[in-house]
Amino acid sequence: MSVVIETHDLTKIYEGAFKAQDVHAVQDLNLQVQAGEIFGYLGPNGSGKTTTIKMILGLIFPSAGAIEILGRKDYRSPSVRKQIGYLPEGAYYPDFLRGEEVLRFYGHLYGLGGADLRQRIDNVIETVGLTYARARLIRGYSKGMRQRIGLAQALLSDPDILILDEPTTGLDPIARKEIRDILAGLRDQGKTLLISSHELLEVELISNRVGILSEGVLQVSGTLDQLLTERDVVIEVDASNRQAIAKLNAAGVETEDTVDDKARMRIPGTVALYDALEICKAESAILISVAPRRETLEELFVRIIGAAEGATQEGPKE
Amino acid sequence: MTAILGFLRGSWTISVYTWREGMRKKTLIGFLILSILVIFGSSFMTAFLAQTTVGAGEEEINIETKLIKDICVTAISIFGVLIAIFISASVVPTEVENKVVYTVLSKPVSRFQYLLGKFVGAQLIIIINLALMGGLFFVALYAKERIMPTLLLWAVLLTYFEFLVVSAFTFAVSCTATSAVLPTIAGLFIYITGNLTEYLKDVYNRAGQTGQWFDEMIGQIAYGLYQILPNLQNFSMKNQILYLQPNDPPRDVQIPNLIAYGLVYAVAGYIIAYWVFRRKEL
Repeated sequence: MSVVIETHDLTKIYEGAFKAQDVHAVQDLNLQVQAGEIFGYLGPNGSGKTTTIKMILGLIFPSAGAIEILGRKDYRSPSVRKQIGYLPEGAYYPDFLRGEEVLRFYGHLYGLGGADLRQRIDNVIETVGLTYARARLIRGYSKGMRQRIGLAQALLSDPDILILDEPTTGLDPIARKEIRDILAGLRDQGKTLLISSHELLEVELISNRVGILSEGVLQVSGTLDQLLTERDVVIEVDASNRQAIAKLNAAGVETEDTVDDKARMRIPGTVALYDALEICKAESAILISVAPRRETLEELFVRIIGAAEGATQEGPKE
Repeated sequence: MTAILGFLRGSWTISVYTWREGMRKKTLIGFLILSILVIFGSSFMTAFLAQTTVGAGEEEINIETKLIKDICVTAISIFGVLIAIFISASVVPTEVENKVVYTVLSKPVSRFQYLLGKFVGAQLIIIINLALMGGLFFVALYAKERIMPTLLLWAVLLTYFEFLVVSAFTFAVSCTATSAVLPTIAGLFIYITGNLTEYLKDVYNRAGQTGQWFDEMIGQIAYGLYQILPNLQNFSMKNQILYLQPNDPPRDVQIPNLIAYGLVYAVAGYIIAYWVFRRKEL
């Protein structure tokens, strides 16, 4: 698989009045996004996600390092930018224009016009499911519709690469699902998507690979199978048997929650499943279910960010 | 050739969008309505005045007409320059604030092309507003005197070039700013300073009378500023509008030279704007 977005030791420092006030927004970032994948670019607020995207798009300038897009070092050239569609977070689209007028404006910026532009507008409006509202003024659009018109403008030039900054933030579950389906459809068409998001569940559902950024440093990067390696077992036992639950807890089994007389308990990798089951048998606890469970992206995220922040607070060891 | 056409097309698209959006700004509409009210109001107000003339022969002036002219010229100057400053100060910072600039500059659009589009769009707004105010004044004057006030057309043309200079430098300041407040203040400062440059010459002429070094230095600074700053008084034809016949040709003004003078300052302002914006972190 070819690499379409690649950064080499990419660094961005926002300089303050004094050296001590410098903000290292991104540090020595080596990122690779492969052709035809959805890459989930994750991190807490202020971790450097948007800064990375802005550097890739040429909106801000790297302090050090290099960027290659589609194998080209002149990533700011118009011919490269024609291959990139970008949806910024919370972008504004002029209220006084109709949906299709917004797209016509952006189409002209791509140098498109005439029948070709009309055809493309028809196609992208259909792709994002806004055909019914194409002639409506933007001021009458809901948040989800605005996000979809934003996605449509990013798709106008039929780009190979789509960079989406928080595409589902603030949307209701139905709109989120619709956007997610559109994105998955685009991936199936062979497009490469770089998605920056806080919505970990959304990312987990559609991403092929993820990268987690903390304080400007890429902590981990890889496929979900590579990263979500921690597996454990969840058992459900009758909650009325308090002695059995106490013994399980003492053995290292964690109670996650108790609902309707059922206690859901997680057996971590450090505790043997058979030991836990032996306790249940000895205490005559009613075992309702036993199921394997893989670590979620959210759990991985919390673990990675927690470790990174912990390391920062401890500071460098002498 | 295709590349040039593509470049111009991109800029023109941004200009038209800027113009369409700008003409909807409430502040701008407010200024325009106020100016129209003042221009109409001047005719209405003078209807209650007694017909009075001063002077004799060619120098004879109708006080009522002079009052209309005075009010209208002042209204066009004040509201026109407020519109020019407001729009030039806001077209770029507003787009940075609402992130439209991200979606535009992530397309195959250069920063030069973008700025040119914004600047030309701002000029379209200024020209249309000036044409509206000037047109109303033209009609009011024609209705009053029954003579085609052709002199007014020259005055409006020069007024536009005065606004162009103010607009270009305000635009340059706006490219450094994140909101329209600072560039608006800078625009007003440029307009006021540009109208007071004759005083700088006066300071230079009077400097050195005390023989002290700082007195000389202030004189040199004043002279330097006089040479650098645009003299916006050059564009004013207010006295000719007030005291000449409406269809007289302009006197003592080299209109082509003044247009060239205005264009040089406007280009300088635009170059400063681009120089600031080309490496601006958005």
